[in-house]
Amino acid sequence: MSISKISSELFHKLVGLAALELTAAEGAYLLTEMNHQLSSVNALLQVPLEEGIQPTLHGIQCLGAGPRADAWQPFPTPGEILAGAPETEDGMFAVPDVKGAK
Amino acid sequence: MSLNQLSALEVAARVRAGELSAREALEASLAQIHAVDGQQGSLEQKPLDPSEEQKVHAFIRLTEDLARQQADEIDRKLSAGEDPGMLAGVPVSIKDIFTLQGIETTAASRILWNFKPPYTATSVQKLIDAGALILGKVNLDEFTFGSSSESSAFKPAPNNPWDPSRVPGGSSGGSTASVAAEEVALSLGTDTGGSIRQPAAFCGVVGVKPTYGRVSRYGLMAFSSSLDCPGPIARNVSDAALMLQVIAGNDSKDSTSSVVPTSNYLDALKEGVKGLRVGLSPDYTHLFYPDFETGELAMESIQKEISDSVQHAASVLADLGAEIVENVPLPNAKYGIPTYFVVSRVEAASNLHRFDGVKYGYRTPVEVDDLQDLIRRTRAEGFGSEVKLRILMGMYLSSEGYAANYYQRALKVRAMIRRDFDCAFDPHGEHRLDVILTPTTATTSFKRNDVFGNTVRMQYSDQMTVSANHAGLPAVSVPGGLDADNLPIGIQFIGPDFREDLILRAGYAYEQATLDEAWRSVRPAVLRQEVAK
Amino acid sequence: MKDYEVVIGLETHIQLNTQTKIFCSCKADSWEAAPNTNICPVCSGMPGVLPVLNREAVHKGALLAAAMHAEINPVSHFDRKNYFYPDLPKGYQITQFDEPIGKGGYLDLHMPDGVTRRVRIHKLHLEEDAGKTKLDHGLRLVDFNRCGVPLVEMVTEPDLRSAEEASQYLTQLRQLLRWIGVSEADMERGHLRCDANVSIRERGSQVLNTKTEIKNVNSIDAVRQAIIEETKRQIELVEAGGRVVSYTLDWDADTGKLSMMRSKETEADYRYFREPDLLPVVLTEEEITRVKAELPELPLERKARFEADYGLSAYDAEILTSERGLSDYFEAAVASFGGEAKTVSNWMMNDLSRLMNDLGKTASELVLTPALLAEIIRMVEEGKITAATGKSLLRKVEESGREPAQIVEAEGLAVIADSDALREQIQSVLDGAITEVESFRAGKESLLGWFVGQVMRATGGKADPKRTREILLELLRK
Ligand SMILES: [Zn+2]
Repeated sequence: MSISKISSELFHKLVGLAALELTAAEGAYLLTEMNHQLSSVNALLQVPLEEGIQPTLHGIQCLGAGPRADAWQPFPTPGEILAGAPETEDGMFAVPDVKGAK
Repeated sequence: MSLNQLSALEVAARVRAGELSAREALEASLAQIHAVDGQQGSLEQKPLDPSEEQKVHAFIRLTEDLARQQADEIDRKLSAGEDPGMLAGVPVSIKDIFTLQGIETTAASRILWNFKPPYTATSVQKLIDAGALILGKVNLDEFTFGSSSESSAFKPAPNNPWDPSRVPGGSSGGSTASVAAEEVALSLGTDTGGSIRQPAAFCGVVGVKPTYGRVSRYGLMAFSSSLDCPGPIARNVSDAALMLQVIAGNDSKDSTSSVVPTSNYLDALKEGVKGLRVGLSPDYTHLFYPDFETGELAMESIQKEISDSVQHAASVLADLGAEIVENVPLPNAKYGIPTYFVVSRVEAASNLHRFDGVKYGYRTPVEVDDLQDLIRRTRAEGFGSEVKLRILMGMYLSSEGYAANYYQRALKVRAMIRRDFDCAFDPHGEHRLDVILTPTTATTSFKRNDVFGNTVRMQYSDQMTVSANHAGLPAVSVPGGLDADNLPIGIQFIGPDFREDLILRAGYAYEQATLDEAWRSVRPAVLRQEVAK
Repeated sequence: MKDYEVVIGLETHIQLNTQTKIFCSCKADSWEAAPNTNICPVCSGMPGVLPVLNREAVHKGALLAAAMHAEINPVSHFDRKNYFYPDLPKGYQITQFDEPIGKGGYLDLHMPDGVTRRVRIHKLHLEEDAGKTKLDHGLRLVDFNRCGVPLVEMVTEPDLRSAEEASQYLTQLRQLLRWIGVSEADMERGHLRCDANVSIRERGSQVLNTKTEIKNVNSIDAVRQAIIEETKRQIELVEAGGRVVSYTLDWDADTGKLSMMRSKETEADYRYFREPDLLPVVLTEEEITRVKAELPELPLERKARFEADYGLSAYDAEILTSERGLSDYFEAAVASFGGEAKTVSNWMMNDLSRLMNDLGKTASELVLTPALLAEIIRMVEEGKITAATGKSLLRKVEESGREPAQIVEAEGLAVIADSDALREQIQSVLDGAITEVESFRAGKESLLGWFVGQVMRATGGKADPKRTREILLELLRK
């Protein structure tokens, strides 16, 4: 069985997409582990899928209460949400600007 | 017998009867924590005294003040003639993945080091409302990502009370350790691929993964939303049933929580196993482990003492009148881990998008003038390696061009895993099972750092538990003996949808029938030392 | 220069006017609220909390789908669209990707020149809105009040062929949204947002060339202008030998200029997958039938009926069906009046519409109900009051809420038809205008109108005009 591996190039693209930064050592370790995991995951490609099998999201058939009524119930302490922010200004969450729009 | 050895049922009964005050129960629990827990998990790398090697380190944070208030409230209710609840005065620990209003909830991650949620998880609130005393938050693998609790950013990570050089399992390792070490009677854990049952097995306690949707996920920080289940951890089956009774039920804050009525789990225990059809499957006697170079799957047998325990349990149940049905095929169970690698990572990567240093928790102290930089640095510094690995794997498996082969395919294999169980439980089918009996794990607890770092081997630690998550089914791990190293063995009962009553009945019958077996009188090592002192 | 045509597709975001947000119980509309006061753990992306779908958002989405002649999907799903942006607190938007609430559909445009163009709908789905950010000396400030507001995203096929058609599409869409009551559709408040995809090709060609996307256009006129500008730019570019590059363009309403925002050549990978925190949205056959039955007569159907049943001109019918409340008002007034519909139409088109404009009220907000309007018209038609009195009564009734007849009685506004009293009034007018009387008698008969006016002034408009004229002529010619 041939094994497809994640290339270093693809790996670095993924690191960017995931909004991460890695040291060289961490990157090397994680790429190795990803490829090891992929050797397990690739077993899926060999599974003979039963005909007509539909994908399942929860395994079980969920029996929920259904959508809620459209009734306003304000959260009592929105101020606490803002209070937990690393930086705020004028009642707003503050972050540096987005630079270098692609 | 010390107060801490009492079951939750016994504590609640004594408190309710006025024979024991909630305050007394609380102080006994705190004393035990101070005696055996040692230094609490922390982000600072404090030098450890060698004596700490023998401690449990289950807790990240004690909530003594809160617990005292709760205890006083229960004692007040009692003197006022009010009902203090089913769990009155029972000391409980909470896996630090559940929010508790105003109390730091960290997910054992630096990225949430100072996060104080302004809301309480539904299951935690139900425990509080039932009179439980919340002693504190216990350690876990970072964001529940692991099977040994070693990936926690809060060090020291918990040890196994049966052998402190070994791991308690994970990710609910702090929960199972705190219960096994008699620090608390009950703990609230979560199970996504086995995170309640595997550490329960490793620590010799009872752990229940309820049916998906049986217990609300509101306030549980999501790992894999389609798999996550909060559940009880206790020292015996009755206590687990009692705790499940409290936390189960529909919740309007969780759309996936079920409207199927709950049963009376405690009453169900008494019904015994006579006539119950208990299945054994050849697909739960070994695991298929991949060769990293060739991708070939090699068959590995599980630890002999564990399969012996399963066989022994089957004969005990047969003696009690259960019908043992052998050779039940569950052929797709062997794809449980590959499927899990895909489903859980894809969902996890998405669930972790929200940690960006904008709204709460950690933000890089490095001066940056660009938002992308801020997010990258915050995540780079705030997440541990295992978390980054899961995010990257999830990004890869769900990205355009790969999703069809991996994610979409995994959802179909997941459906096939589910179908196997449907056939086994089909009341008009060949096997017509009530429960399936399997090992909980392939091995007993391993040494610290033995497996940690090998992420595939670590993940395969959930081989026996993960299929119940894929299928959404309820499952329980109960102590099933000790191996030659005096390490606990867990056996698992898996049941049909919403039939927690059946798996608890089977577990209870087995437990009661084996109360006199010699291994049950052996105490965890940390407690033996305590007696020796 | 070759003969070019422009190919336009519009992507609209429609804010549904539910009471609460789509996945939490915060208010949907927080236009007036201070930043981050209309938020909760769910819409601000805190960990561990879960979305719970608002039933009314589904209902309004389905109603809109029905109004667009789209097929309502009996089972639709929510998906996650993953990307990092500070206005998106969860790091993903909950939207509908491959199984949305509506499938297909169209809107027929009725252009002023009588041409009808069918604009097909490519996509119609429910999703949650993002927050707002603004720049403040180098910092980006984020307000989550708008996060989770229910939206319908509706995308047309590239079926529009001019800036006028695009503007007509938005005009009709806005009218429809208000008509069926699913959105306030106020573009300035962002209830209706529009992005335009624009490309050009040689007339007669069927190819779809590279398009650019114009964002941030918040009025119908701006959409029209921006498309005209962009069409001109593309034609000049191609004529000069250039090539249109797929760009996102930002419209600056103040300068009337487009600026490049970013290249769209590398499309982001949003890694869509089903939202595991929500269950499929199931609408039974019965519920779908009920939604369809709930759909009112639509503006174009009603316009045609007004022309056929009431004999209104196309112009009047169009105005009176521009808004549902106005057309309902008209029909109620006609029914209550019992006479010529055209008479009611005239009153509404002129005096009532002026009054509504002055007061800034819609028809359904008027204190002056259709029955009261009918009563006023009836009194005029029966000669009990003059037309001038009738007109002044509109405002009096609207402001006081009293019955028109009561006001007429209390203020003595009834027509002075009694000949003796009127003759006396006229005589005193003539006595005070000796010069004019002489001029008239000398042959300047055009002064008659002036005399009538004087009498009206003297009687506060209550003089019966016909009788006044008769008596005037009689006395002047004496
Ligand atoms: Zn909210």
